[in-house]
Amino acid sequence: MTPQVLAIAMAVVLLIVVLLLLRSYVLPEKYAVLWLIASIVAIVLSAWPGLLQAASDFFGISQPINLLFVGAFFVVFLLLMQISLELARTRDELRRALQRLALDIEKTSEDDDD
Amino acid sequence: MKVLVAVPALNEAAVIGQVLQSLSEVHSLRDVVIIDDGSRDATAQIARRAGARVVSHPINLGVGAAMGTAFKYAVREGYDVVVQFDGDGQHRPEHIAELVGGLDAADIVIGSRFASGGTFKSSAARRGVQRFIAWVVSAYARTRLTDATSGFRASGPRALAVFAEHYPVEWLGDTVESIVLATRQNLVVREIPVGMNERAGGTPSQSVFRATLYTARILFILGLASIRSVPPQLRASRAGKEVAA
Repeated sequence: MTPQVLAIAMAVVLLIVVLLLLRSYVLPEKYAVLWLIASIVAIVLSAWPGLLQAASDFFGISQPINLLFVGAFFVVFLLLMQISLELARTRDELRRALQRLALDIEKTSEDDDD
Repeated sequence: MKVLVAVPALNEAAVIGQVLQSLSEVHSLRDVVIIDDGSRDATAQIARRAGARVVSHPINLGVGAAMGTAFKYAVREGYDVVVQFDGDGQHRPEHIAELVGGLDAADIVIGSRFASGGTFKSSAARRGVQRFIAWVVSAYARTRLTDATSGFRASGPRALAVFAEHYPVEWLGDTVESIVLATRQNLVVREIPVGMNERAGGTPSQSVFRATLYTARILFILGLASIRSVPPQLRASRAGKEVAA
C-alpha cells in the first residue's frame, strides 16, 4: 500500500460526504460548490502526482508539497471567508426581520385597543 | 375551481399598478396575491390600494421563496390552482385562461415563449443556449418543454400540495428544479405557446460568462436531481397523511 492510495481514498471520502449531504438536502448547493471543487481537485492531484510537480515547477517552488500547503490554505481561507460573510448577512437579515415583526405586532395590538 | 394569480414582485412600484390594471380585466383582484419580496419602494401600498391581496416578506428572499409563500397562502385560503404571473409586465393576462384550461390534462402548464405560436425575439447565442437547455430538460421530464425557465405557469391541485411543502429557492430552482421535482413526484408537466411583452424593468444579462454559468447551473441542477431523494418536508407531510388515513 502506497501513501498515494490513502490520499485518493481520503479525497474520495470527502467527495462522497459532500454528495450525500447534497442529496439529503442538508447542504445547500450554494455552499457545496467550493467543497465539490476542493474534493475533485484533491482527487485529481492525488491520482496524478505529476501534475503537482509540473505546477510547482511552473511557479518555481522547489518542494511540490509546499504548493499543496499554499493551495490548501487558500481553499480553507475561502471557505472560512464564505462562512463569515454568510453569518454576517444572516444576522443582518434576522435583525431586520425581527424589527419588522416587532413593529407589526405593535401595530396590531394598537388596532385591538380601538 | 378557485384560481389564485400570484405575482412575485420586488421594487415594481413603477409598473405594478399597470400590471394589476391589465390583470383586473380578466381576473378579480380579490383572487390576486402580490408577494412583495422585501421591496423598498411603494409596491405593496400600490397593490393594496388597487384591491389585490398583499403578502410582504420582511426581507428579500428571492423568487423561489416568494412562490413558496404563494403556494402556502393558496393552500391555506382553499385555492385549487395557482397561476404565477410576473410583476414586471412581461406576461400577458389573456393567456391565464389558456394556462388554467391546460390543467385538465396536466398538473403543471408552462407558458412557453419558444413553442410554435409563441413570439419572442432574442440573439442567436441566447436561442442556442435556450435550445440546448430545452433539449436536456425535455429529456429529463420525458415531455417536450421548450422554455424551462419561463415563470409564467399554472399549477393544479396535485402540484399545489407538493409545492406548498417544498419549493426550490436557489438560483433557477424556482423554474428548472421545480419541473424536475414535479416530474419525480409523477406530476404531468405540459407547455402551451404564449406571447410575451418586452420587459418593462431590468435588462436580461447576455454576457458569455453569464450564459456559461447559467448553463452549468442548470446541468448541475439536473445532475443533482438524478441522485437526490424526496425532499424531507415532502416525506414528513406524506408520512403525516398516512398516519391520519
